[in-house]
Amino acid sequence: MYQMFLGGALRVKAAALAGGAWSKQWRRWAPVAVLVGLCIIIGLFNPNFFGGANFVRMLNTAAIPLVICMGVTFVILMGSIDLSAEGVIAICAVAASMLVANDFTGIAIGLFSVPAAILIGSLVGLLNGFIHVKFRIPSFMTTLGMGFAGIGLATAILGGVMVRISDSSFRDYLSLGRVFDIPAAVYIAGVAVIVAYVIQERTRIGRWVYAIGTDEATARNAGIPVDRTRIIVFGIAGAFYGLAGALSAAQIGRGHALISQDRLFTAITAIVVGGTALSGGVGSVLNSVIGVFIVIVLTNGMVLMGIEPYVQKGVQGLLIIAAVALALDRSRLDVVK
Amino acid sequence: MTTPVLEIRNVSKSFPGVKALDDVSFAINKGEVVGLIGENGAGKSTLLKVLNGIYQPDQGSIFVDGHPVTITSPRHAFDSGIAMVFQEQSVLPTLTVAENIFLGREEEFLRFGLLSKKRMNAAATKELAKVHLSVNPAMRCGDLSFADRQMVEIAKALSLDTRIKGHVTILLDEPTSVLEKREADLLFSIVRDLKSRASFVFISHRLEEVLEISDRVYVLRDGKSVKELESRDATVKDLHQLMVGRQLHHEYYREARQAVPSATTVLEVQSLTKSGSFSNISFALHEGEVLGIAGVIGSGREDLARCLAGHTPFDSGSLKVKGEQVHFSAAYDATAKGVGLVPAERKVEGLVAPFTVAENMTLAALPKFVSGFRIRFADENAVARQWIERLSIKTPSTATMVGSLSGGNQQKVVLAKWRIAGVNILILDHPTRGIDVGAKEDVYELIRDMTAEGLAVILLGDTLEEVIGLSNRVLVMRDGEVTATFEAAPGNKPAQVDLVSHMV
Amino acid sequence: MKMESRTRLQTWLPLIVLVVLVLLVGLYDRTFFSAGNMLEVTADTMTLFLMASGVTLVIMIGGIDLSVQAVASMTSCILAVYLPRFGIFAIPLAVIGGVIAGFAGGYVSTRLRIPSFIATLAVSGVVLSAGNWFSETKSVVIPGELSQTYLTWAVGDFLGVPNEIWVGVAFLLVLSAVLGLTPFGRLVRGIGAQERAVMASGIDVDRIKIAAYTLSGTMAGVAGIVMAARLGSGSPTLANEFLLPAIACIVVGGTAITGGVGSIWRTFVGALIVQVVRIGMTFIGVSVFAQQIVFGFILVAAVAVTMDRAKVLVIK
Repeated sequence: MYQMFLGGALRVKAAALAGGAWSKQWRRWAPVAVLVGLCIIIGLFNPNFFGGANFVRMLNTAAIPLVICMGVTFVILMGSIDLSAEGVIAICAVAASMLVANDFTGIAIGLFSVPAAILIGSLVGLLNGFIHVKFRIPSFMTTLGMGFAGIGLATAILGGVMVRISDSSFRDYLSLGRVFDIPAAVYIAGVAVIVAYVIQERTRIGRWVYAIGTDEATARNAGIPVDRTRIIVFGIAGAFYGLAGALSAAQIGRGHALISQDRLFTAITAIVVGGTALSGGVGSVLNSVIGVFIVIVLTNGMVLMGIEPYVQKGVQGLLIIAAVALALDRSRLDVVK
Repeated sequence: MTTPVLEIRNVSKSFPGVKALDDVSFAINKGEVVGLIGENGAGKSTLLKVLNGIYQPDQGSIFVDGHPVTITSPRHAFDSGIAMVFQEQSVLPTLTVAENIFLGREEEFLRFGLLSKKRMNAAATKELAKVHLSVNPAMRCGDLSFADRQMVEIAKALSLDTRIKGHVTILLDEPTSVLEKREADLLFSIVRDLKSRASFVFISHRLEEVLEISDRVYVLRDGKSVKELESRDATVKDLHQLMVGRQLHHEYYREARQAVPSATTVLEVQSLTKSGSFSNISFALHEGEVLGIAGVIGSGREDLARCLAGHTPFDSGSLKVKGEQVHFSAAYDATAKGVGLVPAERKVEGLVAPFTVAENMTLAALPKFVSGFRIRFADENAVARQWIERLSIKTPSTATMVGSLSGGNQQKVVLAKWRIAGVNILILDHPTRGIDVGAKEDVYELIRDMTAEGLAVILLGDTLEEVIGLSNRVLVMRDGEVTATFEAAPGNKPAQVDLVSHMV
Repeated sequence: MKMESRTRLQTWLPLIVLVVLVLLVGLYDRTFFSAGNMLEVTADTMTLFLMASGVTLVIMIGGIDLSVQAVASMTSCILAVYLPRFGIFAIPLAVIGGVIAGFAGGYVSTRLRIPSFIATLAVSGVVLSAGNWFSETKSVVIPGELSQTYLTWAVGDFLGVPNEIWVGVAFLLVLSAVLGLTPFGRLVRGIGAQERAVMASGIDVDRIKIAAYTLSGTMAGVAGIVMAARLGSGSPTLANEFLLPAIACIVVGGTAITGGVGSIWRTFVGALIVQVVRIGMTFIGVSVFAQQIVFGFILVAAVAVTMDRAKVLVIK
């Protein structure tokens, strides 16, 4: 009988799909439309928006959120959530800043600190995934605890002080140096997006993420190692946080525990606004790229229009609510917790 | 004698309260198409799930090409040469056609760790050609029509044929229920084409189709294999008789205890329609009447029951309770009008397991037990005790957690809940599912008592016997429509086979 | 039988843990056992308990409220800013701020069908902006004489017991009564245990859920007021770093995040455990920063122990 319900529900859904092709297309392209619309509106209010310098500024601001979002997107596509980004980034930023020439430790391994940060990030991510899968604790709890622990660890290592980075080539290569007037961080973020896209489209893990996010039981039946995939995906997310940590340290030239403050909130806003569904299976890292630019353009626009910066968080909160409410496929869930 | 490609011997499988498979043996030879028929709950789907590795049998053994095997998962079944086309589609809407076909088996398209979509799509095109489906393999399945997705599902199972050496078996669970005649015919021609390479097990409630396509037919009843016959020797009518089995007399039905309904209409349903589930359902329900609804899985009767209780919305038509036009946006609207549902999934929707017997009983009538802000626990307990006695519920006390009671006693608590809430229309969705024989008889008695007190009951029974025995009238549904209405007054009960002929 | 003894153990375990921890810390430093010290420790715990008490209800229905620290900060700002202008009425005004924030979280989560952790996270963003708006992003000092006039109920003492404790115990009793005696409390438990059965019994589940979120916001608001009274100022970041301990004390007390099981007194005990652990760590020289790590792990461990895995088939 239960199967009959499923059958019935599916058939209804199929009918809705046939009739809703247009609305489906609209949904797919809505984030792009929103981005273009925003640019036009802000440009009308303030012509400075379209200046080259402003574009470079926005690209630079977008770099680190882009890298973070590449990680979080995979976890959300899988139907889970990762709230640990800030903590992991803090650990990795502190680690990276302590591994290059600095005023805190005697170590100076230069650019090797980048793979080191990525490695540390992915290890913490794997730990996230391991605890979540093996102890069967919901991901939001695991990663919430882990995120707090990460910030605590970063603070504890430094005892509340900051590490100053004296390795200027590290900062140049990762963030400040410019090619064609565009900062290095933007190129690195671009590479991160390409890597994420290749993982998503051209690897088994990438495809399995969608399968698990859409219907875990079917994925299991098809022989997909669901538990292992989940752990690996949290590890991949951690690797992106590691890179984001190194970029953050290079950008401000310091490492400290609060370096990633508010990053998570922005990342989730961007992903959700970009059209990736929290229920899993729907969306893409490219959606998140659009989402990041929506958030950045909006923030930039508000600054240009002279709106107080503290309002931004409120606007992001409203954006999350609006985007999720518009995009959520309510037929899929009857009990929401 | 040739060795069967797939054989099961003396397989049994039990679920709490029900023996789904009871000592079933079954074999399928090379190039053979075997039909599997039976009423709801006869064990067809359970049998396929055992073959597909979703369920492990409690007893008995499975042989592939004469070798004993233990099938641990659907993937393992696939690697052993057994693939299944699911009744509820397992095609993932967010993946492309090609990705769905090769889900979990992408290794062969990997090059340096990366997937070659080109090769994958080319391979998928070949598989799709087998089912004569000319869609772009790079298209997302969510963008396909329902029938096309069903064909992708079939192509996915058929892909086994080129991936596995040796003979393969494909299990088709109601593959035609969502297909048009033309598509079903296409499916049958594909099946015939592939007989040299594959064997098929075919389940359908459309008996004509079963006879048309299969070489042999097994009839299951109550988890037992009751008959095995050659298709060319059988008629649809024979199959009907075999499916229902024994003839029952009026003593079994306790017809004398059955209440006589009054002429007062309490519920009037006018051309109720829910797209994809049922259409144009009309009937009237009277005080003291039991209206049975018979139908197989997919007949739409379960969804109809849920609509009547406000659990899900319907698309069009009207609902009148005691002459008043009503609109149910949620279960609480229905409850307010005196309509309650005893759900099939007792542990999910019927009861709050960690609640006590008393707490469960008063759940639908809580405001009656509140003064100010406070629940009157003494009153609550008194009423609970009263109903425990009245329905002879076996429980240590009113404070016992309901989850620790037996299935039959749990069901009585659910019934007590609705009686305390004072509903006058009660919809019973498989009220005896998962409870033992003695307790079933108790539930039947309670239904007879209720109607004697003037309640109107809509009954979706587990078995035809149950429906015929308890009802005053029986509606038969097939594919979402009412196909027949039978009077079932005491002394004038319809035969099971008459109902079945309108059900399938 | 086995199941019963297990539930009994789970009921008393937090209390046993608390007693053992108190004894351990007391052995390390005898002055810990003095009545004055005990009262002080308890009084220090009360703001945390107040904040966690409301979230307990939300966790019991199977949701989560991540907005409480932002709400508490906001109400501290409302109190500090409006106390000079409106006098005593600033207190209900601040509470109303909490009510609205809690209602918003509940409404967004249930009516728009957004998972609660995202809904409340989003609302906390809005609330944070509101707090900044009220206080103009600054820390606002409450003048001493106003505190004397209006806030002694929170910071003074009565019969030698700090008033924070009276306030905390009063809310402990009231919320326990709400949970134990009213239909609302029973339905909160029922929704957490088996939401679909409660829904099928003809109960407007959304209304109960929204009410639970609203109470959570209200209690966070009260916590913010007491916090501001104790510190003599309100600030948009006042309650930062409170969310994790608040959730920790709920699960450490034995309330399962899968919903259905829990109580306010458990959270009370849990809050005391968190506080004693914190004091213990300070004694043995664990830095304040590193304590966050310990709480992160305690949280995950406590969730692992208390949650009912049978209830969720797919853990996301």
